[in-house]
Amino acid sequence: MNGSGPLLEVQGLHVWFDLAGGRELHAVQGIDFDLGPGERMGLVGESGCGKTTAILAIMGLLPPSASAAGHVLLNGMDMYEAGEDSVRPHRWRDIAMVFQGAMNAFNPVRRIVDQIVEPMELHEIAEGRAARVRAGDLLELVGISARQASRYPHEFSGGMRQRAAIAMALACGPKVLLADEPTTALDVMIQAQVLELLTGLTRELGLSLILVTHDLPIVAQTCDRAAVMYAGKIVESGPTEDLFHTPRHPYTRLLFSATPDLYGRGEVISIPGTPPRLDREVLGCAFAPRCDMAFEPCPSVVPRTLPVAPGHGARCHLNDPAMRSAS
Amino acid sequence: MNPTPPTASHQDAAVAIPATVTQPRFRFLRSPAIRRPATVIGLAMLLFFVLVAIFASRLEPFNPNVKSGAIYAPPSSHHLLGTDDAGADMLSLLIAGSRVSLIVGFAAALVAILIGGAVGLLSGFFGGRIDSILMRITDYVLVIPDIPLMIIVAALFGRHLLNIIIIIGAIYWTSTARLVRAQVKSVRERTYVKRVRAVGAGNSRLIGRHILPQVAPLLIANTVLMVAVAIFAETYITFLGLGDPSLISWGKLIENSFRGDATLNGAWWAIVAPGVCVTLVVLACTMVGQSMEDALNPRLRVGHLSVRRFRLRSIPADVE
Amino acid sequence: MRSADYVIKRVLFAVVTVFVAVTLNFVLFRAVPGDAVSALRCRACTQQFKEAERRELGLDKPLVAQYWLYVEGLLHGNMGSSLRTEQPVLGELWVPIANTMPMVILGTLFSIVIGILVGVTSAWRRDTLLDKTGLYTALGFYSMPTQWLGLLMVFFVAGAIHLPTSGIRDPTLGLLTHASTWAVIVDRLRHMALPSITLGLSLYGEYALITRSAMLETLGEDYVLTARAKGLRNLPIVWAHGFRNALLPIITLVALSLGTIIAGAITVEYVFSYPGIGLATVEAIDQRDWPVLQAIFLLLTLSVIVFNLVADLLYVKLDPRVVDQ
Repeated sequence: MNGSGPLLEVQGLHVWFDLAGGRELHAVQGIDFDLGPGERMGLVGESGCGKTTAILAIMGLLPPSASAAGHVLLNGMDMYEAGEDSVRPHRWRDIAMVFQGAMNAFNPVRRIVDQIVEPMELHEIAEGRAARVRAGDLLELVGISARQASRYPHEFSGGMRQRAAIAMALACGPKVLLADEPTTALDVMIQAQVLELLTGLTRELGLSLILVTHDLPIVAQTCDRAAVMYAGKIVESGPTEDLFHTPRHPYTRLLFSATPDLYGRGEVISIPGTPPRLDREVLGCAFAPRCDMAFEPCPSVVPRTLPVAPGHGARCHLNDPAMRSAS
Repeated sequence: MNPTPPTASHQDAAVAIPATVTQPRFRFLRSPAIRRPATVIGLAMLLFFVLVAIFASRLEPFNPNVKSGAIYAPPSSHHLLGTDDAGADMLSLLIAGSRVSLIVGFAAALVAILIGGAVGLLSGFFGGRIDSILMRITDYVLVIPDIPLMIIVAALFGRHLLNIIIIIGAIYWTSTARLVRAQVKSVRERTYVKRVRAVGAGNSRLIGRHILPQVAPLLIANTVLMVAVAIFAETYITFLGLGDPSLISWGKLIENSFRGDATLNGAWWAIVAPGVCVTLVVLACTMVGQSMEDALNPRLRVGHLSVRRFRLRSIPADVE
Repeated sequence: MRSADYVIKRVLFAVVTVFVAVTLNFVLFRAVPGDAVSALRCRACTQQFKEAERRELGLDKPLVAQYWLYVEGLLHGNMGSSLRTEQPVLGELWVPIANTMPMVILGTLFSIVIGILVGVTSAWRRDTLLDKTGLYTALGFYSMPTQWLGLLMVFFVAGAIHLPTSGIRDPTLGLLTHASTWAVIVDRLRHMALPSITLGLSLYGEYALITRSAMLETLGEDYVLTARAKGLRNLPIVWAHGFRNALLPIITLVALSLGTIIAGAITVEYVFSYPGIGLATVEAIDQRDWPVLQAIFLLLTLSVIVFNLVADLLYVKLDPRVVDQ
C-alpha cells in the first residue's frame, strides 16, 4: 500500500433481505477489507455469492427490504452512521460506480452528455458549457468522439455504452471506482479494451478500483489484489500473484481451473454442485458439499480466516494444522 | 446477480419457469399471485355476490316485481332497504338484479376472452402474415370509441340482453388479444417449447399442453378485469334507456332511481343501494385482476427508489 | 429523416383508420333491421314524409352508390340532415359541441392532474399507508358508475355547497337587470362545476392507477439506481427520471381513454341536463334520429383518431427510441 491510510474500509459487513413469510436471506455474511489509494482489488465469485449486494451495500444503495450491519468507512467517515443526508454529497464525488449491464444504467430518453453533466452540476464540479466540454473530454478519454456526446444511449453499441458509463463514473473525479461486471455483456475483443482502459485510467488518475466479476483471469490481468467470495463470505484474499500461483482454498483453485464458456460471457463455471441456499443457516463450511478435499470437520465446524502468507488469508480447515492433526 | 435477491415467488411465477418439460399443469393456482391479500379479499367479495345471484330466488324477501309497500318507503324492519318508485322492495330488487348484472359481466367477458384469446394465440403462435393482419385489425378496433359504439349498436339492433353481451364482448377483446399474443410469443421462444417441437409435437398439442397453461394466469387476471368492464358497460347502456326492458339489473335500478326522481323524493336508499353493489363488484374484480397482474409482472418486483432506507442492525454475536 | 418516416407512417395509419371508421359508420347504419327511416319517431313523420326522406338519403339506390354518396357528402362537410328538424346535422351539433368542450376539458384536466399526482405519490411511497390510501381511493372512484356518482353529487353534495344541478345558465339571470359579463361567466362556471367535478372524479382513478404502475416500472429500472448513486435527491429522481419516463405509457393510455372521457361526458350531461353533445346523443337515441347519431359517432371516432395521432407525434419529442424502431 502507498503509505497513507486506506481510502475505503469495510468492516464486518452483513446484509440480509426480507423474504416472504418472515424469513430472511443472509446475502453478505461479514466481509472485511481495506482499499488503499490507487489500489485495484478484484471481488470474485459465482453469481449469487453476494458480490453485487456487497457493492450496493458499500454505496448505501440497498433496497428497503434489506438490512445491513457493520461499518463502511470512506476516508474515515462511517457511511452508515452518518446518515443519508451526509452521505449523499460524497456519492459520485468520492465514490462512483460502473453498473452491471450499462445498457440500462443510462436513462433511454436523455442524451448521453446530459447524463454525464448531471452529477457535475449537482456536485458543483462544473456548470453549463464548461461541464459539457468536460463531458466531451471524458468521452474522448474513454475513446469516444466528443462529437457523439449528444447521442442517445440506444444509438451506442454495447461496448461504447460501457465506456460511456465509465466516462460518466469519472465525471466528478472520484477517488474510488466500483465496477460491477463491467465486461460481462461484451465480446472478448471489446472486453479486453475496456479492461485495459480501466487499468490505464486507475494508473493515470490515481484511482482506487474494486472490480466485481465472476471471471478470475480478468482479475489476474487487472488487479493487484483479489478477494474470492463464496456464499456471502470472503473465503480467500491476497495478492493476485499468490492467489493465482498458490491458491489456499479449494474453491479458488477450482475457479482458476474452471473454463469460462466459449464466448467469455455468461456465468458458466463448471464446478459440480450448486452454492447453498442463503435463506437458512449453513452449518460448517458452506463449500464443503462441493469440495473435493473436504474432511471430517468441514460439514460441522465453520472455518476461520487464517493467514497463510503476508497479506494472504484463506478460510479453510486445510490450512489449520490443529484441524488436520485432529482428524 | 440482481440487486434484490430472488424471492420464493421467483420460482413459481409464470415468468420464471425453468426450462423443464415436466410442468405441473395448473401450478399457478398455488402461485403467490393468488395468495395476495387483495386477491383473497376480492375473490371473497366476488364469491359472495355470485352466491347471492345463484340463490337469488330463495333469498328475496319479497317478489321484486310486485308492489309490496308504499312508494319510496324509507328503510324499516319490514323493508330493510326501503322501496322503489313502484313500491317494490329494494333488497329483493338488488338480489334479483345481481343475477342479470353478473350474467352480463361473465358472459360478455367470456365472449371477449374467446375472441381475444383466439386472435392472440393465432397471432403469437404463427407470426408473420397472420400476425400482422390480425394486429392491424386490433389496432383499428382499439381506436373506435367503445361506449359510443355500444350505444349505436344497442340503439340500432335492439335492447336484448344477448345483444348487449355480444356487443360488449366484441368490443373489449383487443387488450386480451395483445396480452395473449405477447405472452405466447415469449413462451414460444423459451427453449423447452423448441425442444418439444423438435421432439415432434403437433401444434394443437403444443398450444394445449405448453402454451395455454403458461398464459392462463394472465388470461384469468384479464378475464376478471373484463367482468368489471362488462358490468360497468351494462349499467351504462341501461342508464341511457338501452337496457333490456323486461329484466331487472343493477344498471336498471340506477336508471329507475334517476327516471323516478328519487333525488327529488329524498329516497337516498333507492339511489345508493344499486350503485354500491356495482361499485363493490367492480372493485372486487379490479382488485383481483390488478393484484394478479402486478404479481405476474416481473418489472414491478424491483424498486430502486423508496422513502424508506434499508435498516441498520448490530453485528450478530455468533460470527467470529 | 428517420423521424419524418415515422411521422408519415403514423399519419398514414390515421388516414386509413379514418377511412375504416367512415366505412364502419356506413355499414352499421345500413345494417339496421328495416331501414333508418322506418324507425323514426316523430309527430310529423307521415308515410309520405318517410318516402321523401328515403329518396333524399338515397336509400333506394344500390349500396355501393349509397356508400359513394355518403363519402362524397362527408368530403363536402355534409353529414346529412336531422330527420327531426330537417336542419343540417353539423349546424345542429355546433352549439352542443361548444357547450361540451369547456366542461369536458375542465373535468379531464382536473382528473389528469389529480390522477398523476396521486399515482406518482403512491408509487414513490410504495407499500406505505399513503400508497394504500391513494390506491384504494382511486380504485373506489374507478369502480363507481359515472351516472351513479353524478346522482350522488346531486343528492348529497349540490345542496350542501349551493351549486346548480341542471342546465347551463340561470334562466333568471339578466331578465330584470342587465347582467355583467363577469356575472355571466361566474354563472356559467357554477353550472359547469358539478358536471366537471363528477367527470373528473370518475376519470381520475384510472389515471392514478396507470400512473402508479408506470411509475413502479420505471422506478425499478437501473438508471434510477444510477441516479441515486450519483447523489440525486429522491424528489428530482422521481420527476426527472421516474415520471419523465413513465410519461410515455401514460400518454398512450390517456389518448386511448378519450372514448371513456366521451362516454363519461354523455352520462354526466344526461344526469345534469347539461345541453351538450351528450344530451344531444340521448335525445337522438330517444327519437331514433339516425343521421344525428351517425354524425355524433363519426365525430367522436375522428376525435379519438386525432388524439391518438397527437399522442404518436408527441412520442417523437419524448422518446428518441421510437423513431428507430
